[in-house]
Amino acid sequence: MAYAYLFKYIIIGDTGVGKSCLLLQFTDKRFQPVHDLTIGVEFGARMITIDGKQIKLQIWDTAGQEAFRSITRSYYRGAAGALLVYDITRRDTFNHLTTWLEDARQHSNSNMVIMLIGNKSDLESRREVKKEEGEAFAREHGLVFMETSAKTAANVEEAFINTAKEIYEKIQEGVFDINNEANGIKIGPQHSAAGGAAAGGAGAGGAAGGGCC
Amino acid sequence: MDFFKSGLKTVLGAPEAGQQPSAGETVERLVNRVENSTLLEDRRDACRALKAMSRKYRVEVGAQGMGTLRQVLELDRADNETINYALDTLNNIMSPAQFEEEEENPNIPMNIGEQFTEMFIKDHNNIQLVLDLLDEYDFRVRLSAVQLLTSLLTNRSKDIQEIILVKPMGVSKMMDLLGDTREVIRNETLLLLIKLTKGNANIQKIVAFENAFDRLFEIVSSEGYSDGGIIVEDCLLLMLNLLKNNSSNIHFFKEGNYIQKMLPMFQTPDDAEDLGWSPQKVSNVHCMLQIVRTLVSPSNAVQIISSCQKIMKYAGLLDSLCNILMASGVPADILTETINTVGEVVRGEVNNQDFLGNVMAPSNPPRPAIVVLLMSMVNEKQPFSLRCAVLYCFQCYLYRNEMSQASLVQTLLPSSSDVSSLTSGQLLCGGLFSSDVLSNWFSAVALMHALTENAAQKEQLLRVLLATNIGSSPVSLLHQCTLLLQQSTKVQAKVALLMLLSQWMSYCPSAVSAFLKVPGGVGYLVNQTCSNEHDDNEYLLQGLSAFLLAICIHFNDDSVENYSKDSLKQLLLKRIGMETFSGKLSEVTKHESYNKAAKHPQLRVKAPGEILIDYEFCKLFKSLEGVLVESLTVKRENGVESLPESRASPSSGALEQYKSLIRQQDARLQELTQQLDGLLRQNTQLQSALNDSLASNSHLKDENTLLKAQVSAATPLNHQAPAPPSQDDAKAKEYEAKVQHLANEVAKLTNELSLAQEAKKTATEELEKLKKDQEDLLVLLVDQDAKLNEYKMRLISLGQTVDEPPSEEDLT
Repeated sequence: MAYAYLFKYIIIGDTGVGKSCLLLQFTDKRFQPVHDLTIGVEFGARMITIDGKQIKLQIWDTAGQEAFRSITRSYYRGAAGALLVYDITRRDTFNHLTTWLEDARQHSNSNMVIMLIGNKSDLESRREVKKEEGEAFAREHGLVFMETSAKTAANVEEAFINTAKEIYEKIQEGVFDINNEANGIKIGPQHSAAGGAAAGGAGAGGAAGGGCC
Repeated sequence: MDFFKSGLKTVLGAPEAGQQPSAGETVERLVNRVENSTLLEDRRDACRALKAMSRKYRVEVGAQGMGTLRQVLELDRADNETINYALDTLNNIMSPAQFEEEEENPNIPMNIGEQFTEMFIKDHNNIQLVLDLLDEYDFRVRLSAVQLLTSLLTNRSKDIQEIILVKPMGVSKMMDLLGDTREVIRNETLLLLIKLTKGNANIQKIVAFENAFDRLFEIVSSEGYSDGGIIVEDCLLLMLNLLKNNSSNIHFFKEGNYIQKMLPMFQTPDDAEDLGWSPQKVSNVHCMLQIVRTLVSPSNAVQIISSCQKIMKYAGLLDSLCNILMASGVPADILTETINTVGEVVRGEVNNQDFLGNVMAPSNPPRPAIVVLLMSMVNEKQPFSLRCAVLYCFQCYLYRNEMSQASLVQTLLPSSSDVSSLTSGQLLCGGLFSSDVLSNWFSAVALMHALTENAAQKEQLLRVLLATNIGSSPVSLLHQCTLLLQQSTKVQAKVALLMLLSQWMSYCPSAVSAFLKVPGGVGYLVNQTCSNEHDDNEYLLQGLSAFLLAICIHFNDDSVENYSKDSLKQLLLKRIGMETFSGKLSEVTKHESYNKAAKHPQLRVKAPGEILIDYEFCKLFKSLEGVLVESLTVKRENGVESLPESRASPSSGALEQYKSLIRQQDARLQELTQQLDGLLRQNTQLQSALNDSLASNSHLKDENTLLKAQVSAATPLNHQAPAPPSQDDAKAKEYEAKVQHLANEVAKLTNELSLAQEAKKTATEELEKLKKDQEDLLVLLVDQDAKLNEYKMRLISLGQTVDEPPSEEDLT
């Protein structure tokens, strides 16, 4: 339960590129071929370990549809990391990256780590965007790049964890102001959480004792 | 006031003597001044004057000044004072409340604030202007802007929510104000956020994303948790808004370990009992309980409920709640709500239910908390809402928990345990037969929940015997309930008993037959169903009686002589008629009480008189209504046997069918094999007969050839013979006779041969036919074999073990 840091992520990108599936694969380790359209924003969470430290990831999966764009903008500011996702089998989703990036840069804090993700790498036969193109775009805009498959789980863990590593490094370098929660980073309540757990255990123990009588 | 008047004078100039300008004219001049004056001071003074007039003359100020005022917000941002006046003026004209000053003026429409709001928000940029002013650090400006937004939201919440949602950083800006060190602003922002988040899931999610829960818990803890003031209540109300019907936020709340953070709210210091609860504390705790209930509300998704329940037990929240339950000096309405909350925290979660079952009340002697609660339920002096809460809590305790259901029934069964201690079962029985009709109802429904979806307990409860009078022999509980049903004059008691009996007897043929044996039971039901009284509650009673009667027919195992399935059906058709019967049955679902109860597991009635139908009963009724009507209308197909199976497990009926089919096929297979054996034997016999005849045939042929050779050898001799006729005449004659004899013999043999050949032919034909038959049989056999295998597979897939039948290969 106790964690050293808590990072807030958002997942953005065109509709249908597999944002919700990436999240589901990461939090539940399963793939759901048919997924309802995300309405507004959905929430997911998981614990990871970096450098021996427990880090809690809180992930907000946004709706890709244009109609929800203004709603999802509200989530940029408070996020420490963003996964910008496109679909390698749909060129248009790649073409829209610039718009997404502008939007994100405009509304987020300048330190937000953005990871570019080309999803659906299992559909090699229908590929429309070359891996090199993704790499070039990432290089040009200073993003980390990765191709993933939410279906086969290839690189999904890595995508989320590498983003976390990047944020973690920035914290070590002192780039992030970790005391400002608007950056999407929280220091874990380690001491208080441990105390709480102990109290909870004691309460349960007492209750069990009461049951015996 | 004088200063004020002089101020007005300086702004407006001296009024012309003897002529007081009307309010409209004054406003017009002020608005002109705000709009046209080049001096900031002039504009500021005019704004101040407008603000002063806006409370009494809001129609005039609003109608003429709104455009100008919004212009001020845009152009005079540099001057906080002017902005502040403009904001306050706008807030006054759009205020949802009525001012004292305008009470005497009948010309002001009631919804004037709303009308001006509508005008103001026509241009979405106006909202943006106000939102931008939230960034202004000046105390007055910020406060006025927050108050103006609150007024706007009060008047037109849906519209403003949608506008703010699409304004970048709109919600974020308001969230930032929660961190304002000036408490007044923070508190006003709380009110604003409560209005903003009401009923809009998207805004709720953004507010939660902006660390709302952290901020709110910080405020709550700094204010002293439940002992804090109204600010704590505001924080909790906002949390409640964020969580209500918002599964994403509930998930976030759970994942963010906020459930654990609620714990201090429920920890009441032990020594504070005598101090009593302040009204504010009552409100605070009430809100906290609402938050807990929102997390585990039965209307949430099952996974969410269950994981929240687990955390609540693990974190010790359930423990704290139970402590409140057992503490003294807790106000009645808090106690009631705590009981409801404990119920929902344990509902359907076995570990939590066990925990509740083991809580002991600090009474002397110590009793289980459940028993103490039930004592209040059957005590007519307790408040009605408390008694309802106990019933709900008890239902939650029994919900989907066979162990707790069994242990309740166990307390009613004759056993060696200490008789003197009071048990839940005894309390319920007492309640069932008490003179207080509500106790009857509560007890019957509570007992009914012990039987829900639990066949074993239905059987067990049949064993319960009651000692009615000293000296007379004990009667069964079911018997007593049936008698009570006939004797009772109170609608609520009758409804409760009918519900209990329906739950008990459904899917339980032995309970049905026990009921049928009670004298007068069936007659009562038939009479009730036929009864023709016109009253909503009478209709309900008739419908419930019809329902129970149909259960008696449907789940009848024909074990009671006079009331077999068929005779009861005849009785129903003759005495009541199918039409009337289905009409009465449908009355149940038409009743208001049924529709209310079906909506939510918790009883939601205001007055004791309204209490009639229970949620679980609605579920039972819904699931059985169609089945019962169908079983009465459709001609019986499978007989009685199919009934118990149809509910025990839907597959067992089909299984039985397959079993009998396989048995039939086994028999047929054996029969066919025997036939085949017989035919094979016949075939070999014929074959040997044929061989014999063939052999004799060839033997005859040989003989024939020999004879022919002999004949041919004899003929030349005959031809040479004529030369010496006289001498040879006798010889010739002799030979002729011999030849004649031989020819005869040949003819005879030929005849014989053809006969044999014919026999052979028919034999071959017969053989051919048999061979063909055999082939057909083999094909049939293979076919059967395949079918057998298929059924075996199906059986296996249905979970039956199949013994290897004697293998077919051996048979063939």
